[in-house]
Amino acid sequence: MPSTRAHAGADFLNVSNLHAGYGQARVLQGLDLSVARGEVCAILGPNGAGKTTTLRALCGMVRGRGSVTLDGTELLGRSPEQAARLGVAHVPEGRGTFNDLTVEENLRVGAHLRTGPRRRGRAERAAVAADLERVHGYFPVLRRRSRQAAGSLSGGEQQMLAIGRALMLRPALLLLDEPSLGLAPLVTRELFEIVRAVNEEERTTVVVVEQNAQLALDIAHRAHVLEAGRLVLSGPAAQIREDGQVAEVYLGVSVRSRKAG
Amino acid sequence: MSAVTELLQQVVEGLGSGAVYASLALALVLIHRFTGIVNFAQGELAMLSTYVAWQLVASGMPFWLALPVTLAVSFAGGMLVERIVIRPVQGAPELTVVIVTVGLFIFVNALAGLIWSFTVKDFPQPFPDGGIDLAGVRTDWSTLGILGVVAVVMGLLYLLFQHTSVGLTMRAVACNPASARLSGIRVGRVLMLGWGLAATVGAVSGVLVAPVLFLEPNMMGGVLIYAFAAATLGGFDSPVGAVVGGVFVGVAETLTGAYVDVIGADLKVGVPLMIILAVLLVRPQGLFGRAAVERA
Repeated sequence: MPSTRAHAGADFLNVSNLHAGYGQARVLQGLDLSVARGEVCAILGPNGAGKTTTLRALCGMVRGRGSVTLDGTELLGRSPEQAARLGVAHVPEGRGTFNDLTVEENLRVGAHLRTGPRRRGRAERAAVAADLERVHGYFPVLRRRSRQAAGSLSGGEQQMLAIGRALMLRPALLLLDEPSLGLAPLVTRELFEIVRAVNEEERTTVVVVEQNAQLALDIAHRAHVLEAGRLVLSGPAAQIREDGQVAEVYLGVSVRSRKAG
Repeated sequence: MSAVTELLQQVVEGLGSGAVYASLALALVLIHRFTGIVNFAQGELAMLSTYVAWQLVASGMPFWLALPVTLAVSFAGGMLVERIVIRPVQGAPELTVVIVTVGLFIFVNALAGLIWSFTVKDFPQPFPDGGIDLAGVRTDWSTLGILGVVAVVMGLLYLLFQHTSVGLTMRAVACNPASARLSGIRVGRVLMLGWGLAATVGAVSGVLVAPVLFLEPNMMGGVLIYAFAAATLGGFDSPVGAVVGGVFVGVAETLTGAYVDVIGADLKVGVPLMIILAVLLVRPQGLFGRAAVERA
């Protein structure tokens, strides 16, 4: 089993000795992991393992101790708005769309950092328009629904909108928390294919947290398995997918049934 | 005067006071949408703004210059209140926040009394005397002026929210602050902006109503109750609702005062309370508000 240590050092995202939690509940107890630039990294594990907490610590939604560096810059101790300024785009569990706003307005909010006060030149506006085109290219349905309120979209469309909004930020690091939650299998598959396309075309580094291990392993380059707030396993996604024992112990039946079929 | 013209006359008068209630209700709704807080001190902040206007005029500034200065001061004041008084209790239990705004109410009221005393002051009437007659219905210039000013304020707010990037940012924060943060929006600043805006809109209501009610620290107490009725009727999260509700409450107030003998002038203040009660019983989210239901 390849160790993370050998992999660490020159990595884009480095998490070391991360402790985080909610009040008295300490969820993460010394997590180490690293993600290379341009990589899709899957974080897997049972409920309560600390997957969501890990993402929230990366984007500043929960406080953490230890160290998290993105391209050498420390992320811990920053607020979510500061993390966003450093290029961290987090798509939270439950999507977090602006339901009263139209689809296009949602996307424009995503470009906030480039359209805020003092930055509304012609060039910026053109850049935002180009980004809208780009996002519409990945998610054509968002173009058709441009003027519709986000709250009226289906769950799958809302998830696409949430990811589209994150892409408007032109993120260096895209964090996806349970993108498959509550979606039909076909929609989920489509969504993951788009995430793969984004990663391949823009070299965006992606960290995806998923209950559906099989789906995540399909698009991931590497995977990390958490249990009770600690990293218990990491390695190339293909290897973890093929490792029957790992699948049985940590990832449930979904991978096994795939192997059988 | 025929019964119809008499009725129309009452409606016109109701529109004038309705516009004042609408702008204070709008201030309440703005803050409620941004922060989920019902600001009981909104009327008192408007009263304080009105004193600022009075002081400026009393020291020789022409009214139409004093007004924008007052609005600017109110904007800054509203932002300060958010930063100093509200921010520390943001996210605290609802009752805590309510008590803080009630405390602010008492503080501002006492502060105005301390500075300007509780004696009634004459506030200059910014609009000319007289009015126009239309088919026997007389509309005072002051009524038209109030309607005009409130319409301009609404129009500017609409432009701000729907057609500027700042407005889009504000709506995003009102809708989902957590996601707004994740998009890099500095939510604290936007909330300050929201309070500043609300204080400005509230100030407009105070300045407009002062020539009618005379200026004293308790001037806005009654207006606040009407504004609450307007916001409840329209829906506490709907700016359009606040305006419609304000106009409705104003007209209902004059009509019941004129036609329902039991109520007359003395019991008029019962009208908004009845409206609040009726709305809460029949349609708690108000006419334009949305019930708190969302698809998962």
